[in-house]
Amino acid sequence: MIDETLALTNRALKKWIRNPASVLPGLFTAAFYIALFGNSVNPTNFIPTSSNGVAIPAATLAAIKAGIFATTFGGAANYITYLTAGVICLIVVFNMSFGGIDIVLDRQLGYFNTLLTSPIPRASIFFSGVLQNLAKAMLLALLTFVVALLVPDGLKLTSSFGPFEFLGAFAVFAMLGFGLSCVFTALALILRSIDSLVAIVNFINLPLIFMSNALFPSTSFPSWLKAISGVNPVSKACEATRILIINGNPSASGQLGTFTGDVLYLVGFVVVMTLLGYLAATRAMRPE
Amino acid sequence: MSKTKIIEAENLTKVYKGKVKAVDKISFYVEEGEIYGFLGPNGAGKTTTIKMLNTLASITEGKATVDGKDVSKYPAAVRDVIGVVPQELTADDELKGIENLLLSARLHHVPSGEARKRAKDLLALVDLEGSAQRRVKTYSGGMRRRLQLAIGLIHTPKILFLDEPTLGLDIQTRTKMWEYMGRLNRDSGLTIFMTTHYLEEADGLCNRVAIIDHGVIKVSGSPSELKQRVGGDVLTMELTQGPDITAFLKGLPDVSDVARNDQVYRIKLPRAERALPAIVEGVTRQGLEIKEISFTKPTLDEVFLDVTGKSMRDEASGESDSLWQNVLNERMR
Repeated sequence: MIDETLALTNRALKKWIRNPASVLPGLFTAAFYIALFGNSVNPTNFIPTSSNGVAIPAATLAAIKAGIFATTFGGAANYITYLTAGVICLIVVFNMSFGGIDIVLDRQLGYFNTLLTSPIPRASIFFSGVLQNLAKAMLLALLTFVVALLVPDGLKLTSSFGPFEFLGAFAVFAMLGFGLSCVFTALALILRSIDSLVAIVNFINLPLIFMSNALFPSTSFPSWLKAISGVNPVSKACEATRILIINGNPSASGQLGTFTGDVLYLVGFVVVMTLLGYLAATRAMRPE
Repeated sequence: MSKTKIIEAENLTKVYKGKVKAVDKISFYVEEGEIYGFLGPNGAGKTTTIKMLNTLASITEGKATVDGKDVSKYPAAVRDVIGVVPQELTADDELKGIENLLLSARLHHVPSGEARKRAKDLLALVDLEGSAQRRVKTYSGGMRRRLQLAIGLIHTPKILFLDEPTLGLDIQTRTKMWEYMGRLNRDSGLTIFMTTHYLEEADGLCNRVAIIDHGVIKVSGSPSELKQRVGGDVLTMELTQGPDITAFLKGLPDVSDVARNDQVYRIKLPRAERALPAIVEGVTRQGLEIKEISFTKPTLDEVFLDVTGKSMRDEASGESDSLWQNVLNERMR
């Protein structure tokens, strides 16, 4: 099963890499979110610079901003540092959700039937769909991270952010991606038209992002939204990766409990979504 | 000694969504090493039959075995021994020709070294050696079809299913495809089950043919047996006007049957050249004027007309407008 899964994943990635039109939009989206959204919607930009016609001293303003970042944005050095994890989660969500279009196209163009008449396990077809989207999303996630580091006044990592924290953060992104990819791959196998898939995907992915702490802290949310955000896997992934990106080692920053809770939640999410996705997918691959 | 029946279908029936009966209690067999063709217009049930045999569609009623394995009970075992060349052009556009072949080989568990050797041989067979390193999106429609045939053969299947293998090809490329298929069958004894709505394809390539219409096999046999069944030559005569002369024509010597559609008479004759003068003389003597007259040696179209009451050529003009057909047209440019 593993060889067939890897063969099909390799096919999809070759196609993706050879077609720049399918790679670049993802990269541009990441760059736009970091450079444009990160700078234009930076909440500290809304702090007034004067009061009753008297300019607030720069040092006071800086202290107010630092206070806001320390209390509301988890200690991030700036908004882009806070936003990076959220944008990467957003990239993961969007890539996973729209990745299913290739599967629907394969079905419509007949390629899918050649797979179904080959002596390969049905699980290979499902897991290659999951892995190909995950691999694409992880590459884009990495590029987003680099973009965030390169933009002016961008991502500021603490000195305790090392290779383990980097790998840990990307492992968390990968867990979120894997779980979501199971759902969206199964959906793509069930639905046979791109229109239906896009409609359902938009119905799922926009609430998934906006009902999470991906772009703003949930402390500012109304209570009902805060409750939903609290169980949203996107929020869990953002929270866990922000702990690593902003503060480095979770033990050192005293956030090991929150970090471990988030990771365990995501492990459960992956297990449940894998089972549900696989069952739905095998059902969708039964003979007509 | 009779040959092994490598495919057997018994009362095979397919009903889609409990409503649309695509195939209705068909029974047939295919012997090992023969080319067996399903001939019929679009929507006749040809593709549905192939789908049931290659495990893509479930069987509503009846039973089918492929290489002795029950298709419903042992689909995985069936997939091990079959190669499928679908109607759609499914080779991957972004991959090179050779990459498509090697991917298919890997999915069929062909060892890598062996796969490379087979790929080379197959590319030579279908005259694509020079284009192996090009991406498929640069191929013409005919090249894609030939590559598809090679992909279907990379794992040396026992049985090859070809669903409309020359659909949309020009006559030169179609002739080439027939040559490849004939050579494969002759040289390696490969059993081929194919569907087509091209009469010449079924006539020239198949050892035996089943004519299928509205999900029912109307008649089957070798092309020459089927043509003999028509009863010799067919004279088609159109009169300008006049009364029905069917009874008169039937009474003439050497006329075996007459069918009338308005002023057009379709007259079956064991030997047209002998009966023709008597027919022309008899019609003229009755004061009737012949507008047009022609005679043909029997073709499978005559057989189709004989068993269904309509012409395959008329049926074929009503092509479907499905998504894949549009894509096919796009890819065939």
